[in-house]
Amino acid sequence: MEASITLKKVGKLVGDKTILAGLSFGVERGSLVAIVGVNDSGKTTLLKLLSGFENPNYGQVFIHGLDMDKRRQETRKLIGYVPHENDLDPWLTLEQNIRFTSNLYKVSKSTASARILRYADALNLTQNLNELAMNVSHGTQKKTMLVRELVHDPDVLIMDEPTGYMDAESIRLTWDLLKELKGNKTIVYVSNALVEIEQAHDRILVFHEGQILMDGHLDKLLESTLDYHQFQIEFENLSKELYKKLANVATVVSPNRLDNIFHFYGRTRNVFFDVIRTASDELMIDLNVKKLGLRDLLDSEFAGRGLD
Amino acid sequence: MRRIWSWKNRLVPSLLLLLTLPVILFVLVGLSLNNIMRNSLSGMPFELWVIPGFIFIISSMGLFPLIYRDFFDLRVHRKVLAHVVLAPYRKRIMICGYLIVSGIEAIILGVISIGIFSAISSFPLSVIQTLFMIVCLSLYLLLLGNFLISMGLLINTVTTFSMISFITFIFILFGNGFIIEFGFFPAGIASFLKWQPISIPFQVFQLFINTNIIDWQMLVYPLVLVLFWVIANTKILKWKLRH
Repeated sequence: MEASITLKKVGKLVGDKTILAGLSFGVERGSLVAIVGVNDSGKTTLLKLLSGFENPNYGQVFIHGLDMDKRRQETRKLIGYVPHENDLDPWLTLEQNIRFTSNLYKVSKSTASARILRYADALNLTQNLNELAMNVSHGTQKKTMLVRELVHDPDVLIMDEPTGYMDAESIRLTWDLLKELKGNKTIVYVSNALVEIEQAHDRILVFHEGQILMDGHLDKLLESTLDYHQFQIEFENLSKELYKKLANVATVVSPNRLDNIFHFYGRTRNVFFDVIRTASDELMIDLNVKKLGLRDLLDSEFAGRGLD
Repeated sequence: MRRIWSWKNRLVPSLLLLLTLPVILFVLVGLSLNNIMRNSLSGMPFELWVIPGFIFIISSMGLFPLIYRDFFDLRVHRKVLAHVVLAPYRKRIMICGYLIVSGIEAIILGVISIGIFSAISSFPLSVIQTLFMIVCLSLYLLLLGNFLISMGLLINTVTTFSMISFITFIFILFGNGFIIEFGFFPAGIASFLKWQPISIPFQVFQLFINTNIIDWQMLVYPLVLVLFWVIANTKILKWKLRH
Protein backbone atom coordinates (compact mmCIF):
# COMPACT_ATOMS: atom_id res chain seq x y z
CA MET A 1 0.00 0.00 0.00
CA GLU A 2 1.09 3.59 -0.67
CA ALA A 3 2.60 5.60 2.18
CA SER A 4 0.61 8.50 3.49
CA ILE A 5 3.12 9.67 6.07
CA THR A 6 6.85 8.96 6.00
CA LEU A 7 9.38 10.01 8.61
CA LYS A 8 13.07 9.82 7.83
CA LYS A 9 15.44 10.05 10.78
CA VAL A 10 13.35 12.76 12.42
CA GLY A 11 14.68 14.31 15.59
CA LYS A 12 13.38 16.99 17.91
CA LEU A 13 15.27 18.66 20.71
CA VAL A 14 14.06 21.08 23.35
CA GLY A 15 17.14 22.76 24.75
CA ASP A 16 19.55 19.92 25.47
CA LYS A 17 16.80 17.35 25.91
CA THR A 18 16.08 14.93 23.08
CA ILE A 19 12.32 14.58 22.66
CA LEU A 20 12.38 12.51 19.47
CA ALA A 21 15.48 10.60 18.46
CA GLY A 22 16.01 9.75 14.77
CA LEU A 23 12.51 8.38 14.13
CA SER A 24 11.91 6.55 10.85
CA PHE A 25 8.61 4.94 10.00
CA GLY A 26 5.80 5.07 7.47
CA VAL A 27 2.02 5.09 7.75
CA GLU A 28 -0.10 3.53 5.01
CA ARG A 29 -2.85 5.53 3.34
CA GLY A 30 -6.26 5.03 4.88
CA SER A 31 -4.99 3.32 8.01
CA LEU A 32 -5.92 4.01 11.62
CA VAL A 33 -2.79 4.28 13.73
CA ALA A 34 -2.73 4.69 17.50
CA ILE A 35 0.26 6.03 19.40
CA VAL A 36 0.61 5.10 23.05
CA GLY A 37 3.25 5.60 25.69
CA VAL A 38 3.89 7.07 29.10
CA ASN A 39 3.64 10.82 29.71
CA ASP A 40 6.49 12.89 28.23
CA SER A 41 7.51 10.07 25.90
CA GLY A 42 7.26 12.40 22.88
CA LYS A 43 3.80 11.43 21.56
CA THR A 44 2.35 14.94 21.42
CA THR A 45 5.59 16.33 19.97
CA LEU A 46 5.36 13.73 17.21
CA LEU A 47 1.78 14.84 16.45
CA LYS A 48 2.90 18.47 16.32
CA LEU A 49 5.58 17.55 13.80
CA LEU A 50 3.11 15.55 11.70
CA SER A 51 0.59 18.39 11.75
CA GLY A 52 3.21 20.96 10.73
CA PHE A 53 2.74 22.82 13.99
CA GLU A 54 6.42 22.40 14.80
CA ASN A 55 9.47 21.66 12.65
CA PRO A 56 11.94 18.87 13.38
CA ASN A 57 15.52 19.80 14.26
CA TYR A 58 16.73 17.22 11.77
CA GLY A 59 15.29 14.64 9.39
CA GLN A 60 12.33 14.91 7.00
CA VAL A 61 8.58 14.36 7.20
CA PHE A 62 6.73 13.51 3.98
CA ILE A 63 2.97 13.68 3.52
CA HIS A 64 1.80 11.84 0.39
CA GLY A 65 5.40 12.01 -0.82
CA LEU A 66 5.67 15.79 -0.35
CA ASP A 67 8.39 17.13 1.93
CA MET A 68 6.60 19.08 4.68
CA ASP A 69 9.43 21.56 4.98
CA LYS A 70 9.74 22.35 1.28
CA ARG A 71 6.07 22.03 0.24
CA ARG A 72 4.38 23.59 3.24
CA GLN A 73 1.35 25.13 1.53
CA GLU A 74 0.46 21.90 -0.26
CA THR A 75 1.01 19.59 2.70
CA ARG A 76 -0.98 21.80 5.06
CA LYS A 77 -4.05 21.46 2.87
CA LEU A 78 -3.78 17.69 3.30
CA ILE A 79 -3.71 17.73 7.10
CA GLY A 80 -6.32 18.26 9.78
CA TYR A 81 -5.07 18.56 13.36
CA VAL A 82 -7.21 18.18 16.46
CA PRO A 83 -5.13 19.16 19.50
CA HIS A 84 -5.77 17.87 23.01
CA GLU A 85 -6.82 21.20 24.50
CA ASN A 86 -9.72 23.29 23.24
CA ASP A 87 -8.47 25.94 20.83
CA LEU A 88 -11.82 27.29 19.62
CA ASP A 89 -12.57 31.00 19.62
CA PRO A 90 -14.63 31.34 22.83
CA TRP A 91 -16.60 34.34 21.53
CA LEU A 92 -17.82 32.63 18.38
CA THR A 93 -20.54 30.02 18.12
CA LEU A 94 -19.57 26.46 17.31
CA GLU A 95 -20.84 26.84 13.75
CA GLN A 96 -18.97 30.13 13.30
CA ASN A 97 -15.78 28.44 14.50
CA ILE A 98 -16.26 25.68 11.93
CA ARG A 99 -17.14 28.11 9.14
CA PHE A 100 -14.11 30.24 9.95
CA THR A 101 -11.93 27.21 9.20
CA SER A 102 -13.87 26.45 6.03
CA ASN A 103 -13.17 30.05 4.92
CA LEU A 104 -9.47 29.66 5.76
CA TYR A 105 -9.30 26.58 3.54
CA LYS A 106 -11.48 28.18 0.83
CA VAL A 107 -14.25 25.59 1.08
CA SER A 108 -17.39 26.82 -0.71
CA LYS A 109 -20.33 27.81 1.51
CA SER A 110 -22.60 25.06 0.18
CA THR A 111 -19.94 22.34 0.57
CA ALA A 112 -19.17 23.55 4.09
CA SER A 113 -22.88 23.51 4.98
CA ALA A 114 -23.27 19.98 3.68
CA ARG A 115 -20.24 18.76 5.63
CA ILE A 116 -21.28 20.53 8.82
CA LEU A 117 -24.73 18.96 8.53
CA ARG A 118 -23.27 15.50 7.96
CA TYR A 119 -20.62 15.49 10.67
CA ALA A 120 -22.59 17.46 13.27
CA ASP A 121 -25.44 15.01 12.78
CA ALA A 122 -23.09 12.03 13.11
CA LEU A 123 -21.71 13.42 16.39
CA ASN A 124 -25.09 14.59 17.72
CA LEU A 125 -23.84 18.18 17.72
CA THR A 126 -26.52 19.88 15.62
CA GLN A 127 -28.48 21.30 18.56
CA ASN A 128 -25.34 22.99 19.96
CA LEU A 129 -24.13 24.66 16.77
CA ASN A 130 -25.54 28.09 17.65
CA GLU A 131 -24.09 28.19 21.16
CA LEU A 132 -20.96 30.17 21.98
CA ALA A 133 -17.90 27.92 22.28
CA MET A 134 -17.25 29.13 25.84
CA ASN A 135 -20.73 28.07 26.96
CA VAL A 136 -20.56 24.39 25.99
CA SER A 137 -18.92 21.44 27.71
CA HIS A 138 -15.35 20.33 26.98
CA GLY A 139 -16.66 17.21 25.27
CA THR A 140 -18.83 19.27 22.92
CA GLN A 141 -15.89 21.55 22.21
CA LYS A 142 -13.80 18.50 21.33
CA LYS A 143 -16.46 17.22 18.92
CA THR A 144 -16.60 20.69 17.34
CA MET A 145 -12.84 20.64 16.87
CA LEU A 146 -13.17 17.36 15.00
CA VAL A 147 -15.93 18.72 12.72
CA ARG A 148 -13.87 21.90 12.22
CA GLU A 149 -11.04 19.81 10.77
CA LEU A 150 -13.30 17.53 8.76
CA VAL A 151 -14.98 20.52 7.10
CA HIS A 152 -11.93 21.06 4.88
CA ASP A 153 -11.79 17.34 4.07
CA PRO A 154 -8.15 16.60 4.90
CA ASP A 155 -6.55 13.36 3.69
CA VAL A 156 -4.64 12.97 6.93
CA LEU A 157 -6.27 13.47 10.31
CA ILE A 158 -3.96 13.92 13.31
CA MET A 159 -5.64 13.82 16.70
CA ASP A 160 -4.47 14.18 20.28
CA GLU A 161 -6.89 12.35 22.59
CA PRO A 162 -9.77 12.23 20.07
CA THR A 163 -12.39 11.42 22.71
CA GLY A 164 -10.95 13.50 25.54
CA TYR A 165 -13.59 14.91 27.95
CA MET A 166 -16.41 13.13 26.10
CA ASP A 167 -19.29 11.19 27.65
CA ALA A 168 -19.90 7.53 26.78
CA GLU A 169 -22.36 8.25 23.95
CA SER A 170 -20.10 10.87 22.38
CA ILE A 171 -17.14 8.47 22.55
CA ARG A 172 -19.17 5.82 20.73
CA LEU A 173 -20.39 8.30 18.07
CA THR A 174 -16.86 9.66 17.55
CA TRP A 175 -15.38 6.21 17.03
CA ASP A 176 -18.26 5.23 14.73
CA LEU A 177 -17.45 8.27 12.60
CA LEU A 178 -13.68 7.72 12.66
CA LYS A 179 -14.07 4.06 11.70
CA GLU A 180 -16.34 5.17 8.84
CA LEU A 181 -13.72 7.68 7.68
CA LYS A 182 -10.89 5.17 7.93
CA GLY A 183 -9.94 3.94 4.47
CA ASN A 184 -10.55 7.34 2.88
CA LYS A 185 -8.42 9.18 5.38
CA THR A 186 -5.25 8.31 7.20
CA ILE A 187 -5.91 8.75 10.91
CA VAL A 188 -3.10 9.01 13.45
CA TYR A 189 -4.01 9.57 17.06
CA VAL A 190 -2.55 9.65 20.53
CA SER A 191 -4.66 8.38 23.39
CA ASN A 192 -4.44 7.15 26.92
CA ALA A 193 -7.83 5.43 26.62
CA LEU A 194 -6.33 1.97 26.11
CA VAL A 195 -9.68 0.18 25.93
CA GLU A 196 -10.64 2.44 23.00
CA ILE A 197 -7.32 1.80 21.30
CA GLU A 198 -7.79 -1.96 21.60
CA GLN A 199 -11.04 -1.61 19.72
CA ALA A 200 -9.99 0.96 17.12
CA HIS A 201 -6.67 0.51 15.38
CA ASP A 202 -4.91 -1.06 12.42
CA ARG A 203 -1.59 -0.52 14.08
CA ILE A 204 -0.26 0.60 17.44
CA LEU A 205 3.02 2.42 17.96
CA VAL A 206 4.34 2.15 21.50
CA PHE A 207 6.53 5.15 22.31
CA HIS A 208 9.21 5.35 24.93
CA GLU A 209 11.76 8.15 25.39
CA GLY A 210 11.29 9.50 21.88
CA GLN A 211 11.64 6.15 20.16
CA ILE A 212 9.30 3.46 18.93
CA LEU A 213 9.50 0.56 21.31
CA MET A 214 6.89 -1.65 19.63
CA ASP A 215 5.01 -1.39 16.37
CA GLY A 216 2.18 -3.52 15.02
CA HIS A 217 -1.37 -4.77 15.49
CA LEU A 218 -2.43 -5.52 19.07
CA ASP A 219 -2.40 -9.28 18.40
CA LYS A 220 1.20 -9.03 17.22
CA LEU A 221 2.21 -6.90 20.17
CA LEU A 222 0.64 -9.36 22.57
CA GLU A 223 2.27 -12.37 20.91
CA SER A 224 5.19 -12.25 23.29
CA THR A 225 2.83 -12.27 26.26
CA LEU A 226 0.42 -14.98 25.09
CA ASP A 227 1.48 -17.33 27.86
CA TYR A 228 0.87 -14.78 30.52
CA HIS A 229 -2.23 -14.19 32.60
CA GLN A 230 -2.94 -11.54 35.14
CA PHE A 231 -4.31 -12.51 38.52
CA GLN A 232 -6.03 -10.63 41.27
CA ILE A 233 -6.79 -11.93 44.75
CA GLU A 234 -8.66 -9.84 47.30
CA PHE A 235 -7.91 -10.71 50.92
CA GLU A 236 -9.81 -9.70 53.99
CA ASN A 237 -6.53 -8.38 55.34
CA LEU A 238 -3.43 -8.24 53.14
CA SER A 239 -0.73 -7.56 55.74
CA LYS A 240 2.78 -6.39 54.85
CA GLU A 241 4.18 -9.78 55.81
CA LEU A 242 1.68 -11.64 53.67
CA TYR A 243 2.31 -9.37 50.69
CA LYS A 244 6.07 -9.92 51.04
CA LYS A 245 5.55 -13.68 51.27
CA LEU A 246 3.33 -13.76 48.16
CA ALA A 247 5.62 -11.46 46.18
CA ASN A 248 8.50 -13.81 46.89
CA VAL A 249 6.77 -16.81 45.30
CA ALA A 250 9.24 -17.77 42.56
CA THR A 251 6.70 -17.92 39.73
CA VAL A 252 5.02 -14.56 40.51
CA VAL A 253 5.88 -11.75 38.04
CA SER A 254 5.49 -7.99 38.63
CA PRO A 255 3.51 -8.17 41.88
CA ASN A 256 1.78 -5.08 43.29
CA ARG A 257 -1.01 -4.25 45.68
CA LEU A 258 -3.99 -1.96 46.00
CA ASP A 259 -5.33 -1.96 49.56
CA ASN A 260 -6.17 -5.61 50.20
CA ILE A 261 -5.93 -6.67 46.56
CA PHE A 262 -2.82 -8.60 45.47
CA HIS A 263 -2.20 -8.20 41.73
CA PHE A 264 0.39 -10.19 39.78
CA TYR A 265 1.25 -11.82 36.48
CA GLY A 266 2.22 -15.41 35.81
CA ARG A 267 3.29 -17.52 32.86
CA THR A 268 1.08 -20.52 33.70
CA ARG A 269 -2.11 -20.96 35.65
CA ASN A 270 -0.08 -22.99 38.16
CA VAL A 271 1.28 -19.73 39.55
CA PHE A 272 -2.19 -19.09 40.84
CA PHE A 273 -2.17 -22.30 42.85
CA ASP A 274 1.34 -21.55 44.15
CA VAL A 275 0.00 -18.28 45.55
CA ILE A 276 -3.19 -19.88 46.89
CA ARG A 277 -1.13 -22.50 48.68
CA THR A 278 1.13 -19.84 50.22
CA ALA A 279 -1.87 -17.89 51.45
CA SER A 280 -4.04 -20.88 52.42
CA ASP A 281 -4.41 -19.70 56.02
CA GLU A 282 -5.74 -16.26 55.02
CA LEU A 283 -9.35 -15.33 54.30
CA MET A 284 -9.85 -14.55 50.59
CA ILE A 285 -12.83 -12.49 49.38
CA ASP A 286 -12.52 -12.48 45.59
CA LEU A 287 -10.44 -14.06 42.80
CA ASN A 288 -9.94 -12.90 39.23
CA VAL A 289 -7.94 -14.30 36.27
CA LYS A 290 -7.66 -12.44 32.93
CA LYS A 291 -5.78 -12.63 29.63
CA LEU A 292 -3.42 -9.72 29.04
CA GLY A 293 -4.45 -6.54 27.22
CA LEU A 294 -2.69 -3.42 25.99
CA ARG A 295 -2.68 -1.91 29.45
CA ASP A 296 -0.84 -4.89 30.92
CA LEU A 297 1.64 -4.79 28.10
CA LEU A 298 2.38 -1.11 28.68
CA ASP A 299 2.40 -1.49 32.44
CA SER A 300 4.85 -4.35 32.26
CA GLU A 301 7.09 -2.52 29.79
CA PHE A 302 7.26 0.62 31.83
CA ALA A 303 7.23 -0.86 35.29
CA GLY A 304 10.94 -1.35 34.85
CA ARG A 305 10.64 -5.03 35.65
CA GLY A 306 9.08 -6.42 32.52
CA LEU A 307 7.22 -9.67 32.10
CA ASP A 308 10.20 -11.55 30.85
CA MET B 1 -15.94 37.53 8.63
CA ARG B 2 -14.80 36.44 12.09
CA ARG B 3 -14.81 40.07 13.28
CA ILE B 4 -18.32 40.61 11.94
CA TRP B 5 -19.45 37.49 13.85
CA SER B 6 -17.69 38.75 17.00
CA TRP B 7 -19.45 42.11 16.71
CA LYS B 8 -22.77 40.41 16.04
CA ASN B 9 -22.38 38.11 19.06
CA ARG B 10 -21.70 41.09 21.35
CA LEU B 11 -23.65 43.77 19.56
CA VAL B 12 -25.11 45.76 22.46
CA PRO B 13 -21.92 46.19 24.58
CA SER B 14 -19.88 46.87 21.43
CA LEU B 15 -22.30 49.57 20.24
CA LEU B 16 -22.44 51.16 23.68
CA LEU B 17 -18.64 51.39 23.81
CA LEU B 18 -18.52 52.65 20.24
CA LEU B 19 -20.88 55.53 21.05
CA THR B 20 -19.47 56.28 24.49
CA LEU B 21 -15.78 56.75 23.58
CA PRO B 22 -16.16 59.77 21.22
CA VAL B 23 -18.65 61.44 23.56
CA ILE B 24 -16.39 60.96 26.61
CA LEU B 25 -13.35 62.27 24.72
CA PHE B 26 -15.29 65.29 23.45
CA VAL B 27 -16.83 66.15 26.82
CA LEU B 28 -13.90 65.47 29.17
CA VAL B 29 -10.95 66.44 26.98
CA GLY B 30 -12.25 68.58 24.10
CA LEU B 31 -14.57 70.94 26.02
CA SER B 32 -12.14 71.52 28.89
CA LEU B 33 -8.96 71.97 26.84
CA ASN B 34 -10.81 74.25 24.45
CA ASN B 35 -11.00 76.77 27.30
CA ILE B 36 -7.28 76.43 28.05
CA MET B 37 -5.86 76.42 24.50
CA ARG B 38 -7.96 78.37 22.00
CA ASN B 39 -5.31 78.25 19.29
CA SER B 40 -2.28 76.06 18.63
CA LEU B 41 1.26 77.49 18.70
CA SER B 42 1.06 77.77 14.91
CA GLY B 43 -2.24 79.63 15.17
CA MET B 44 -4.49 76.74 14.15
CA PRO B 45 -7.90 76.75 15.92
CA PHE B 46 -7.99 74.18 18.73
CA GLU B 47 -10.97 72.29 17.28
CA LEU B 48 -9.23 71.90 13.92
CA TRP B 49 -6.28 70.44 15.81
CA VAL B 50 -7.98 68.28 18.37
CA ILE B 51 -11.00 66.77 16.56
CA PRO B 52 -8.81 64.90 14.01
CA GLY B 53 -6.60 63.94 16.95
CA PHE B 54 -9.65 62.43 18.67
CA ILE B 55 -10.44 60.42 15.54
CA PHE B 56 -6.89 59.05 15.51
CA ILE B 57 -7.23 58.15 19.20
CA ILE B 58 -10.61 56.46 18.73
CA SER B 59 -9.30 54.50 15.75
CA SER B 60 -6.31 53.43 17.84
CA MET B 61 -8.74 51.97 20.35
CA GLY B 62 -10.57 50.22 17.50
CA LEU B 63 -7.33 48.58 16.42
CA PHE B 64 -6.61 47.17 19.83
CA PRO B 65 -9.25 44.41 20.38
CA LEU B 66 -8.55 42.18 17.38
CA ILE B 67 -4.76 42.31 17.78
CA TYR B 68 -4.91 41.96 21.56
CA ARG B 69 -7.30 38.99 21.31
CA ASP B 70 -5.51 36.99 18.65
CA PHE B 71 -1.87 37.83 19.23
CA PHE B 72 -1.90 37.96 23.02
CA ASP B 73 -4.99 36.72 24.86
CA LEU B 74 -5.91 33.78 22.67
CA ARG B 75 -2.25 33.00 21.89
CA VAL B 76 -1.21 32.66 25.52
CA HIS B 77 -4.29 30.49 26.07
CA ARG B 78 -3.34 28.43 23.01
CA LYS B 79 -6.46 29.21 21.04
CA VAL B 80 -7.27 30.30 17.47
CA LEU B 81 -3.83 31.62 16.42
CA ALA B 82 -2.27 28.17 16.78
CA HIS B 83 -5.06 26.83 14.56
CA VAL B 84 -4.88 29.66 12.02
CA VAL B 85 -1.13 29.23 11.46
CA LEU B 86 -1.73 25.65 10.28
CA ALA B 87 -3.83 26.92 7.36
CA PRO B 88 -2.04 26.93 4.01
CA TYR B 89 -0.96 30.58 4.05
CA ARG B 90 2.38 32.29 4.43
CA LYS B 91 2.86 33.90 7.84
CA ARG B 92 3.53 37.24 6.15
CA ILE B 93 0.15 37.06 4.43
CA MET B 94 -1.43 36.25 7.79
CA ILE B 95 0.16 39.25 9.50
CA CYS B 96 -0.93 41.48 6.61
CA GLY B 97 -4.44 40.00 6.81
CA TYR B 98 -4.72 40.79 10.51
CA LEU B 99 -3.33 44.31 9.95
CA ILE B 100 -5.73 45.05 7.13
CA VAL B 101 -8.82 43.65 8.88
CA SER B 102 -8.08 45.42 12.16
CA GLY B 103 -7.16 48.58 10.20
CA ILE B 104 -10.48 48.53 8.33
CA GLU B 105 -12.37 48.00 11.60
CA ALA B 106 -10.47 50.92 13.17
CA ILE B 107 -11.17 53.19 10.18
CA ILE B 108 -14.87 52.32 10.34
CA LEU B 109 -14.83 53.34 14.01
CA GLY B 110 -13.07 56.56 13.02
CA VAL B 111 -15.67 57.30 10.33
CA ILE B 112 -18.53 56.61 12.78
CA SER B 113 -16.92 58.97 15.27
CA ILE B 114 -16.73 61.65 12.53
CA GLY B 115 -20.52 61.25 12.31
CA ILE B 116 -20.89 61.55 16.07
CA PHE B 117 -18.67 64.66 16.25
CA SER B 118 -20.64 66.19 13.40
CA ALA B 119 -23.83 65.57 15.38
CA ILE B 120 -22.64 67.00 18.71
CA SER B 121 -20.47 69.84 17.37
CA SER B 122 -19.44 71.28 14.01
CA PHE B 123 -16.95 69.04 12.14
CA PRO B 124 -14.07 71.35 11.17
CA LEU B 125 -12.65 69.51 8.09
CA SER B 126 -13.58 69.78 4.39
CA VAL B 127 -14.26 66.63 2.31
CA ILE B 128 -10.73 66.67 0.79
CA GLN B 129 -9.15 67.18 4.20
CA THR B 130 -11.27 64.33 5.61
CA LEU B 131 -10.22 61.99 2.79
CA PHE B 132 -6.55 62.86 3.27
CA MET B 133 -6.98 62.35 7.01
CA ILE B 134 -8.23 58.82 6.29
CA VAL B 135 -5.11 58.18 4.15
CA CYS B 136 -2.83 59.37 6.98
CA LEU B 137 -4.95 57.49 9.51
CA SER B 138 -4.50 54.26 7.51
CA LEU B 139 -0.73 54.67 7.54
CA TYR B 140 -0.76 55.46 11.26
CA LEU B 141 -2.89 52.37 11.95
CA LEU B 142 -0.49 50.15 9.99
CA LEU B 143 2.38 51.41 12.15
CA LEU B 144 0.50 51.13 15.42
CA GLY B 145 -0.91 47.75 14.39
CA ASN B 146 2.59 46.43 13.78
CA PHE B 147 3.69 47.76 17.15
CA LEU B 148 0.73 46.08 18.90
CA ILE B 149 1.39 42.79 17.07
CA SER B 150 5.05 42.83 18.18
CA MET B 151 3.92 43.59 21.71
CA GLY B 152 1.21 40.90 21.65
CA LEU B 153 3.66 38.29 20.39
CA LEU B 154 6.60 39.13 22.60
CA ILE B 155 4.78 39.51 25.92
CA ASN B 156 3.54 36.40 27.72
CA THR B 157 2.04 37.70 30.95
CA VAL B 158 -1.15 39.68 31.50
CA THR B 159 0.47 42.01 34.06
CA THR B 160 3.28 43.05 31.71
CA PHE B 161 0.84 43.42 28.83
CA SER B 162 -1.50 45.60 30.92
CA MET B 163 1.35 47.87 32.04
CA ILE B 164 2.76 48.25 28.55
CA SER B 165 -0.74 48.82 27.13
CA PHE B 166 -1.27 51.63 29.66
CA ILE B 167 2.08 53.20 28.75
CA THR B 168 1.20 52.84 25.05
CA PHE B 169 -2.18 54.48 25.66
CA ILE B 170 -0.55 57.45 27.43
CA PHE B 171 1.95 57.68 24.58
CA ILE B 172 -0.85 57.59 21.99
CA LEU B 173 -2.71 60.35 23.83
CA PHE B 174 0.19 62.70 24.51
CA GLY B 175 3.20 61.58 22.44
CA ASN B 176 1.82 61.87 18.93
CA GLY B 177 0.61 65.46 18.87
CA PHE B 178 -3.05 64.44 18.82
CA ILE B 179 -3.91 66.68 21.78
CA ILE B 180 -0.70 68.38 22.95
CA GLU B 181 1.50 70.06 20.32
CA PHE B 182 5.16 69.08 20.24
CA GLY B 183 6.03 72.76 20.74
CA PHE B 184 4.89 72.48 24.36
CA PHE B 185 7.58 69.86 25.11
CA PRO B 186 11.27 70.64 25.85
CA ALA B 187 13.23 70.85 22.58
CA GLY B 188 15.00 67.47 22.92
CA ILE B 189 11.83 65.55 23.67
CA ALA B 190 9.91 67.43 20.97
CA SER B 191 12.58 66.47 18.44
CA PHE B 192 12.38 62.79 19.48
CA LEU B 193 8.58 62.78 19.30
CA LYS B 194 8.62 64.43 15.87
CA TRP B 195 10.84 61.71 14.45
CA GLN B 196 9.30 58.71 16.13
CA PRO B 197 7.56 57.05 13.17
CA ILE B 198 4.08 56.62 14.67
CA SER B 199 3.62 60.38 14.98
CA ILE B 200 4.63 61.15 11.39
CA PRO B 201 1.28 60.46 9.60
CA PHE B 202 -0.50 62.95 11.89
CA GLN B 203 2.21 65.57 11.30
CA VAL B 204 1.85 65.11 7.53
CA PHE B 205 -1.89 65.56 7.91
CA GLN B 206 -1.41 68.72 10.06
CA LEU B 207 0.95 70.13 7.44
CA PHE B 208 -1.68 69.49 4.75
CA ILE B 209 -4.53 71.25 6.59
CA ASN B 210 -2.19 74.14 7.46
CA THR B 211 -0.53 74.66 4.09
CA ASN B 212 -2.25 72.36 1.55
CA ILE B 213 1.15 70.73 0.94
CA ILE B 214 1.59 66.95 1.01
CA ASP B 215 5.05 65.91 2.20
CA TRP B 216 5.45 62.67 0.22
CA GLN B 217 8.92 61.99 1.56
CA MET B 218 7.61 61.99 5.10
CA LEU B 219 4.87 59.57 4.02
CA VAL B 220 7.30 57.16 2.37
CA TYR B 221 9.49 56.81 5.48
CA PRO B 222 6.79 55.22 7.68
CA LEU B 223 5.50 53.20 4.73
CA VAL B 224 8.91 51.55 4.27
CA LEU B 225 9.03 50.99 8.00
CA VAL B 226 5.63 49.23 7.82
CA LEU B 227 6.99 46.78 5.25
CA PHE B 228 10.09 45.95 7.32
CA TRP B 229 8.00 45.70 10.46
CA VAL B 230 5.68 43.16 8.83
CA ILE B 231 8.73 41.03 7.97
CA ALA B 232 10.03 41.39 11.53
CA ASN B 233 6.64 40.38 12.96
CA THR B 234 6.59 37.35 10.65
CA LYS B 235 9.94 36.26 12.10
CA ILE B 236 8.71 36.84 15.66
CA LEU B 237 5.55 34.83 14.96
CA LYS B 238 7.58 31.91 13.57
CA TRP B 239 9.96 32.06 16.51
CA LYS B 240 7.15 32.23 19.06
CA LEU B 241 5.28 29.32 17.54
CA ARG B 242 8.52 27.37 16.98
CA HIS B 243 7.68 27.04 13.25
